[in-house]
Amino acid sequence: MSTIKSNALKQSARRHRALKDLGAWLIMLPGIALFAFFVWVPLAEAVRMSFYKTQGMRTTEFVGLYNYSYMMLKDPDFWPAVRNSFLYTGWSLVIGFLVPMALAMMIHETKRGKSLFRTAVYLPNMMPALATIFLWKYLFRADQTGYVNMLLGKLGIAPVSWLSNAQLVIPVIVVIMTWKGAGATTLIYLAGLQSISQEIYEAAIIDGAGIWSRIRHITLPQIYNLARTLFILQIIAVFQILYEPMVLTGGGPNNASVSLMQLVFRQAFELGDYAKASSVSVMVSVVLITMTLVYNQLSRKKEM
Amino acid sequence: MKTGRRSNELGVLRPYDFEKPSVKLGYALLIALLILVLLISLMPFVWVVLAGFKDQREFIRGVRTVMADGSVRYLPRLLPEVFDLSLYVKTWNDTRFYLYYVNSLIVVAGSAASALVFNGLLAYGLSQLRPRGHRLVLGLVMASLMLPATTSMAPLFVNINRIGLSGSFWPLILGVGASAFYVVLLKNFFDNMPASLLESARLDGCSDLSLFFRIVFPLSMPINMVVLIYAINGAWSDFLLPYLVLNNAKWASGATKETVMVRLFSFQSSNAARDIDVIRAIVFSIIPPILLFILFQRRITDNVVSAGIKG
Repeated sequence: MSTIKSNALKQSARRHRALKDLGAWLIMLPGIALFAFFVWVPLAEAVRMSFYKTQGMRTTEFVGLYNYSYMMLKDPDFWPAVRNSFLYTGWSLVIGFLVPMALAMMIHETKRGKSLFRTAVYLPNMMPALATIFLWKYLFRADQTGYVNMLLGKLGIAPVSWLSNAQLVIPVIVVIMTWKGAGATTLIYLAGLQSISQEIYEAAIIDGAGIWSRIRHITLPQIYNLARTLFILQIIAVFQILYEPMVLTGGGPNNASVSLMQLVFRQAFELGDYAKASSVSVMVSVVLITMTLVYNQLSRKKEM
Repeated sequence: MKTGRRSNELGVLRPYDFEKPSVKLGYALLIALLILVLLISLMPFVWVVLAGFKDQREFIRGVRTVMADGSVRYLPRLLPEVFDLSLYVKTWNDTRFYLYYVNSLIVVAGSAASALVFNGLLAYGLSQLRPRGHRLVLGLVMASLMLPATTSMAPLFVNINRIGLSGSFWPLILGVGASAFYVVLLKNFFDNMPASLLESARLDGCSDLSLFFRIVFPLSMPINMVVLIYAINGAWSDFLLPYLVLNNAKWASGATKETVMVRLFSFQSSNAARDIDVIRAIVFSIIPPILLFILFQRRITDNVVSAGIKG
């Protein structure tokens, strides 16, 4: 008797639970549908498309790794783009990685005006990327009316053709990216600096630690983990660079600034070859996922 | 500035360090360097606004100057010869920039609503309702946080065309409703919501859906504001998908359907555009983000930390 009753209870509880779950799934459904349409399906399609030949928007025949080998062996822009994507990343680590860290440490020391400095360094982040790029295109204009050249002219330096010089173009683009992006990273470092416990400093000072040794033995180790995370995030972000070379130089001069994502854009939207475009974006994703995994592995080892 | 500095705002330097002259000098250098940084941050804004006052000839050649020996030369100068807003007004009217503004504002308003409702409901489901199997969705959302969005641009564009949404604002608006970044932000906030509150509302006969709109959403205003600000600025600034979807699109009336950023981008490919019009268009395009920043400055700079990990 009692077992029948408890079974009935269990059954109704199960039904109740199932109904509740159904309701929950219905609430989440619009979001899931949007994710499927805008993120998950296109990602899967990119992988699939990269193994096919496409005509317009339709896939016609399975060609295996043909698109990959074509891009790697026959496309004249591929290897310059690979080299440049690594150059962008390298230069951004040289120019852009330490700037926000140093800025944050400096702003953190100021006795007044902290919020002014914070606001000022963050303002460029609010700028639309496209407006930033156009603005700097004019600032770096080659003749003497470019503002940067005008300032250099006051110091007696002759005008430089910043963006049409194959040696300079990538560092100049990285400077522009740093101008726009450093503020947000600076604020993240500032939060990290503020969370360092004051007792550690006090203890070190009692032990007679000077200013430099406080920085070396306390501040830097305390923000080390944060810096490592920001390091990998920066690599991932810069490796995908697209807008800057597209608008500033069109990839020139002579492919000196063309990037991998720019090849994706060209193949897909200028040449209409979605399959080749997808093969390049899959390669980019593989590189990024590998870097993320290597990073995760390394950081796990460090913690143990 | 707040009065009474909290101790965690102290840096490496302590008050007694300043007894040393070398530290005093170093501090002065540090402030000088920061002021230089401040100038580098702000000068481009000043430059572009000032340049917009010039006419094309003055912008290209510089200011007509009579030299000491009587010869005439054109020298570049930061300040315009005259401050006259009418040139700005003329570009605004000639390029019919207001049309692009209206289009951008529609996309921005739609994106803001879409970001809050769709990401909010999904985050609410993942955080509070947790139906069987929700972990799979959570995993997929987290995975898409890692993968570069540009990877899927080509197939996404193909799919948008397939279902006939090319030339429409809907893909731009709905796309913001599938942001892994916002879902994670919102979910983290909802996770910390007191369970007792939700439970008592449930006992009052509130359904799961109305629970979200009557309790969870109103109690999440701090995080909603963050998502709202990011969504507004993101929708205003975005140009790759808008360019692909709206390029040459028109309203039924024949007016352009392009957004401000798409217009700005088309300056790139047209040789007909005069530099000075591009300069003024840049100024028009940065006014809304700067207003947004002035209005919500504190909230934006305080929330970069949680949001910035986006990269």
